[in-house]
Amino acid sequence: MTARIPIGPYHPALEEPYKIEVVSDGERVVGADIEVGFNFRAIEWLAERKNYTADLALVERVCGICSNVHTLTFSRALENLAGIEVPERAQFIRVVVAEAERLHSHLLWAGIACEVIGFQTLFMTCFDLRERVMDVLEAISGNRVNYAMNCPGGVNRDIVDPGVVLRMVNEIEAITSKQLIPVLTHDRTVRARCAGVGVLTREDALALGALGPTARASGLPQDIRKAAPYEVYDRLSFDVPVLESGDVLARIVVRALEIVESCHIIEQAIQGMPAGPFLGGQFPAIPAGEACARIEGPRGEVFYYVASDGSDVPTRVRIRTPTFANMPTVVPMVLGQTLSDVPLIQASIDPCYSCTDR
Amino acid sequence: MDVDGIRRDLGIVAPWERRRDGLWIEAPGLDVRAMARLLCEAQARWVTMTVSPAPGGFRLIYHWDTDGTLLSIATAIDEPSVESLIDIVPAADWVEREMRDYYAIEFTGRTDTPALMLRPDDRPGLFSRTADSVRDFDPADLTDRAERDADRAGSAGRAAPADDSVRASGDHAEGVR
Repeated sequence: MTARIPIGPYHPALEEPYKIEVVSDGERVVGADIEVGFNFRAIEWLAERKNYTADLALVERVCGICSNVHTLTFSRALENLAGIEVPERAQFIRVVVAEAERLHSHLLWAGIACEVIGFQTLFMTCFDLRERVMDVLEAISGNRVNYAMNCPGGVNRDIVDPGVVLRMVNEIEAITSKQLIPVLTHDRTVRARCAGVGVLTREDALALGALGPTARASGLPQDIRKAAPYEVYDRLSFDVPVLESGDVLARIVVRALEIVESCHIIEQAIQGMPAGPFLGGQFPAIPAGEACARIEGPRGEVFYYVASDGSDVPTRVRIRTPTFANMPTVVPMVLGQTLSDVPLIQASIDPCYSCTDR
Repeated sequence: MDVDGIRRDLGIVAPWERRRDGLWIEAPGLDVRAMARLLCEAQARWVTMTVSPAPGGFRLIYHWDTDGTLLSIATAIDEPSVESLIDIVPAADWVEREMRDYYAIEFTGRTDTPALMLRPDDRPGLFSRTADSVRDFDPADLTDRAERDADRAGSAGRAAPADDSVRASGDHAEGVR
């Protein structure tokens, strides 16, 4: 006999609204249906009624964790539309902040995953590292979240003390390489809880349009930083970790390896950052036209489309966030799994309901 | 990928236009299902779809990725109806449901298009509906109402209810959620 079990909209692992209705046959999941939109804010609609300056502040609030990627993608869409060139130093600063944001996001998620697994010690290690990243982001931008760094044509603040950033990166890289990754890949508790659980096959990942670490843990080597490099990513050396197993463990390990890669990217960006201007001058006039931009956010590709009639208010803003694309992949992941694994599997895509419910 | 071959196979006359954000093409009367089949066969990756209100209908832009190049294929529809792609591109499912919520676009060929961002009983077309009410909304109405409310409160010897102006401004937002 089957039973329908509604889980949510209060999430069993994260404090955001989302509902998965699970059909179970005993302990085994045989069906699932996802509901979102509980916190729908119509940000696209709002953006079409505010001027570009206000929209920068608005899109930064699409997401609390990856706020920077939204202002960066929006700014790049405007730069594409208006043909604006960004000073070289600003491009390096954008890379540093974007990768620091990836560190923040991945460490936050790793901590939550450890807590869901029941590994409290590692949870505290991850959150201690995350705190150090947030301190550095605060030192750069003045803010722990919503950094307000990007604007069309450049960035709003310079990195005045690169040494602080390098020290943080060195600490995180050392602890991640020596403690986090060995524990996540070899610890019996983690393996027992995550290996072979919530598998997303390569075929399903491709068909459902999975993005970011979720796709890369299922064997899809997708990364806009490599495929369509922006800013100065084509001048920096880094690997894109890809695993084939598609299970929760693979999604954990991909993100852990990406933490190390982000540290390498920040080191190179800080060391290679040229002197020069970082601001693009006054807020540029946006001509009539339309343009897109894509950025590899912590959870995957972020897409913006902006259309302008030449006024200071866009006529259309379209925002496609990575969790919006990744969320449907939870359904094939949970099928055949036990009910007790559903919260962990949901959390393993690093879902952001704020992004989804733009 | 041979993007020109795909253009010819779809019978699109206009050439691809290279822009900073990728390749763009205008395709009036586009056979959207043929486009989806051809691009999937060519290993292109679905990115998303943009719907915008346009004079006399809607502008639809289908965004695909091929080896890092963004392809944006634009077409126009007079009626809010277009063929669904979900049997060819399962990843289009949530996007179609979202566009039904925002613009009441009907995606034909689906067994149903449940609400995604709205609740099941909400009327689809939220953005179109609110766009009309905002266009017809005159801020002066609020001032007039506030003054009338103040006059009425004064003549009745009491303060105007604090939420009257909220109620007045709420008129234009009626039906948002």
